[in-house]
Amino acid sequence: MSPRHLTFRIFRYNPDTPKHPPSIQSYELQEETGMTLFIVLNKIREEQDPSLKFDFVCRAGICGSCGMLINGRPTLACKTLTRDLPAEISLMPLPVFKLLGDLSVDTGMWFRDVSLRTEAWVHTGKTFNPNEQEERMDNETALNIYEVERCIECGCCIGGCATANIKPDFIGAAGVNRVSRFMIDPRDERDEQEYFEVVGSEDGIFGCVGLMACDDNCPIGIPLQGQLAYVRRKMAVAGWKR
Amino acid sequence: MQLQKALTRTSKADFITEMVQTVSGLLLVGFLWTHMLFVGSILLGVEAFNRLAGFMEQFRLLDVAVVFVILTVGAHVGAVFRRIPSRWQEQKIVWKHARTIKHSDTWSWLFQAVTGSAMLILVIIHVFIVVYAGINAKLSADRVQSWMLGFYIVLLLLAEYHASVGLYRALVKWGYVKRRSLKKVLSVITVCTIALGLVSLWLFLSLGDSL
Amino acid sequence: MSRYDSFASDVIIVGAGLAGERAAIEAASQGLNVILLSLVPPRRSHSSAAQGGMQASLGNSAMGKGDSTDVHFADTVKGSDWGCDQDVARLFVNSAPVAVRQMAFWGVPWNRVVEGKRMYDGKEIQEDAEKEGLIAARNFGGTAKWRTCYTADGTGHTLLYTMDSVVIKLGITVHDRTEVLSLIHDGTRCSGVVARCLRTGKLRVYTAKTTVIATGGYGRLYGASTNAIINEGSGMFVALETGIVPLGNMEAVQFHPTSIVPTWILITEGARGDGGYLLDKDHHRFMPDYEPNKKELASRDVVSRRIIQHIRKGYGVESPYGAHVWLDIRHLGAKHINTNLREIANISRNFAGIDPIHDLIPVRPTQHYSMGGIRTNIDGMAYGLDGLFALGESACWDLHGFNRLGGNSLAETVVAGMIIGEKIAKYTKEASVHVSSALIEDHVRFQEDRIDALIHHRNGSENVYQLRREMEQILSEHVGIFRSEEALTKAVGRLHELHQRSYQVGLRSGGLGGDPELASALRITGMIRLAYCIAAGALARQESRGSHFREDYPKRNDEQWLKRTLAYWPVGAAEPVLEYEPVKITESPPGDRGYGEASTQSATVKS
Repeated sequence: MSPRHLTFRIFRYNPDTPKHPPSIQSYELQEETGMTLFIVLNKIREEQDPSLKFDFVCRAGICGSCGMLINGRPTLACKTLTRDLPAEISLMPLPVFKLLGDLSVDTGMWFRDVSLRTEAWVHTGKTFNPNEQEERMDNETALNIYEVERCIECGCCIGGCATANIKPDFIGAAGVNRVSRFMIDPRDERDEQEYFEVVGSEDGIFGCVGLMACDDNCPIGIPLQGQLAYVRRKMAVAGWKR
Repeated sequence: MQLQKALTRTSKADFITEMVQTVSGLLLVGFLWTHMLFVGSILLGVEAFNRLAGFMEQFRLLDVAVVFVILTVGAHVGAVFRRIPSRWQEQKIVWKHARTIKHSDTWSWLFQAVTGSAMLILVIIHVFIVVYAGINAKLSADRVQSWMLGFYIVLLLLAEYHASVGLYRALVKWGYVKRRSLKKVLSVITVCTIALGLVSLWLFLSLGDSL
Repeated sequence: MSRYDSFASDVIIVGAGLAGERAAIEAASQGLNVILLSLVPPRRSHSSAAQGGMQASLGNSAMGKGDSTDVHFADTVKGSDWGCDQDVARLFVNSAPVAVRQMAFWGVPWNRVVEGKRMYDGKEIQEDAEKEGLIAARNFGGTAKWRTCYTADGTGHTLLYTMDSVVIKLGITVHDRTEVLSLIHDGTRCSGVVARCLRTGKLRVYTAKTTVIATGGYGRLYGASTNAIINEGSGMFVALETGIVPLGNMEAVQFHPTSIVPTWILITEGARGDGGYLLDKDHHRFMPDYEPNKKELASRDVVSRRIIQHIRKGYGVESPYGAHVWLDIRHLGAKHINTNLREIANISRNFAGIDPIHDLIPVRPTQHYSMGGIRTNIDGMAYGLDGLFALGESACWDLHGFNRLGGNSLAETVVAGMIIGEKIAKYTKEASVHVSSALIEDHVRFQEDRIDALIHHRNGSENVYQLRREMEQILSEHVGIFRSEEALTKAVGRLHELHQRSYQVGLRSGGLGGDPELASALRITGMIRLAYCIAAGALARQESRGSHFREDYPKRNDEQWLKRTLAYWPVGAAEPVLEYEPVKITESPPGDRGYGEASTQSATVKS
């Protein structure tokens, strides 16, 4: 079978030249075996258009840099094989995040802000004693924390969320999931009212309308529907007692 | 913590609105399905239908139901209104978003908003007619003989769709349910209730002049 | 509008991976003002990609019983092929357990010991009830005890996210998407950096009492590398380009035996640790022929060489991406693969479209880690310049010598961050800053001039991507796993010419704002210089030690070469200058590693 001829319709916008409105630019490429969008985009930049902006870091589905809309679907470009796509492929940057140019968006600042707002760190009154043995923890608990902690903050759940698209302060599935990670961690001493303080609002769990695009699009398969429901129930109890 | 946050701790307001939306939604689904079963009593014969209607009027259940519907719908509308993209710009964004990501549950939410808004008007008319005219088989049959037939078919479809999707979303948001199987179960229920409604309408239509 | 933005702080840390963040936390908790600079948002750093684990001799697991800092020390020194500084190794192994526990305190969900019996590789393991709930360890290559602490298949990820959560909690300033172009110094003291904002392209000046480099490795000098694409060694070459700061042991490059063909994504050592085999084109398990004792689990340098050796004999599997061998984990069963080796299964499925439950995985040794880097003393202070520190993979602290053990790199980042962070804080409190504006102006103007020349093709129109491909190719072909005088001479010659050509780069994109081509062009000369240091160091070192293997000098030569290479790049020079210094031996005199070609226990296979 002769290799396919692929057409990429890529969103172009350079904030340095605001007079040029956003546009779609087409690039043509011959398909190769095992070709991923990481290979495609670098090839385009090196051989056709050196000004094309996009973000990759690990190119192995670990770091979460390359979330984008691939034929409309928010997912990681590095682990998308062209053979799973039609011959005509549209690439758009993730919405919600600040657009830095072409396919590059500022997910880093967004997530940092959410981490700050939700105080996403272990809250404890204890101090570390270097001479002491570590506190024991049930292995099951450790694995449960890890299951949630796996979020790579790629922003696919945020870009795909209709609510996040219109409510700039909504922390989205990734934000709620991050908080739930601390809720199940026995080292975090916050009580439910303190958690309610950070997620018990329209910007938090009660802003979610349950569209579940997050759950459908999470590229690493975190069970977001379950996590969102878990936090919602917990916060309902906290809200009730409040 | 900043001063403004310390002074305005996260209040229960958002939580309560959310609860009002969910609870009123669930109550309305329950009401709708009971309502459809009652209407479906026409399948058992005109006699059965009229007896049920008479029973309801006798014990003022109809009035209770009307008050209940007005209050619950009011609460529901009040609570969900905050969800509906209010500004034109937001409307454009969500429709564009749904078209872009091609995600079925996102579309169903937009349809829900549309069906909800449309229903609001239809339900008011429906309730008004019932309150004004009362219930018996003859009245219903007369109504479906007219242009009102279309009105009832549209209301039936909108209500069932809205209820089904709403219930689906409430369960997904709060529970451990598996979305795929839940969707299947709800689709079956919805098809059944719509069928029941259509058969009832057809019966009223065919009974027509014989009453 | 001014030509550049200025920032001042007590400490500037370049690189926000594990090492940089850990040092930042130490300095910030002592009340110092710290700014972290990073190419990418901190949580995207390459530290997150480490799957395996972090070595620390806690000895909680049954198979780690009897472990101690002494055993960890011995493994590390042996692994380094006696190329490491033993006082550093001692300090490191002694501090590792505290570092692991502190990470647990901050929130890392380490896997814990579960009481009971289980089977491993045909043996029964009985975990102690007394140890239930303490931090567990797994098996890794080159270690006498199970010592590698882990969180399932995402140790680096959980460490980095936890570390970053502490950075956020402490309110440490982070400037991400910022690339450092040069160190501001007057020949004796470093007083900050000139950087470029990758969002807007604007230049920035950061002045500080202490400048710290923690930018990780240079893996991407090689075309085929397991490293993230940001690992281009920028911290190393800005230090090198001062002309005063040397890079240590740049010829010591680690090749990981198993990365997947052709995306070169790492297949963790865990695959072999759990019982995976390496097969040749005839589906013959060949490692026992070479290494009867350790088989697939000899140290990384040894396994990598054995694979290439076997391919060279004609037993490799031909492919459009070069010859490779197979990794076979099918016999471990679907359940094991889908749970314990989930990451490997996902990588195979997502990036190669194969299912390791039924298929063989195509693997090949690939550049993985740089033992070399900015030479520092045991306190992390760089040679040559006051006020400059380096740590982590970008530094040559020298913990790893000529070969790093799996699990020692994550441990190094955290341990060095803790220890050197303390030294940084101490130094900074005593230091004062007085940097002349003329000096800053000179440094900024130099960079402005470079950018202008690139945009306007003042020196030529060389294509940066073309140069880059050539550099990658030279290193892959001639400075790989097996090295020889002939190939290395060729490499040095071609890199010399490439270095000259790198001055003649001209952009095709216009270089506006945060232009990606301009960023590449600003890096290319520095990268070629690093490549040059690697090739020149390898050519000069006429022995084989650890990962540096010379076919013409296949034995370790302690009499002449028990020393560290220091590569300098004098300002304006066309090539590096090599010097040497002795390696610090305190406890363990050079001996037999117990694996590898030089070992008495190694089998000799006739070719």
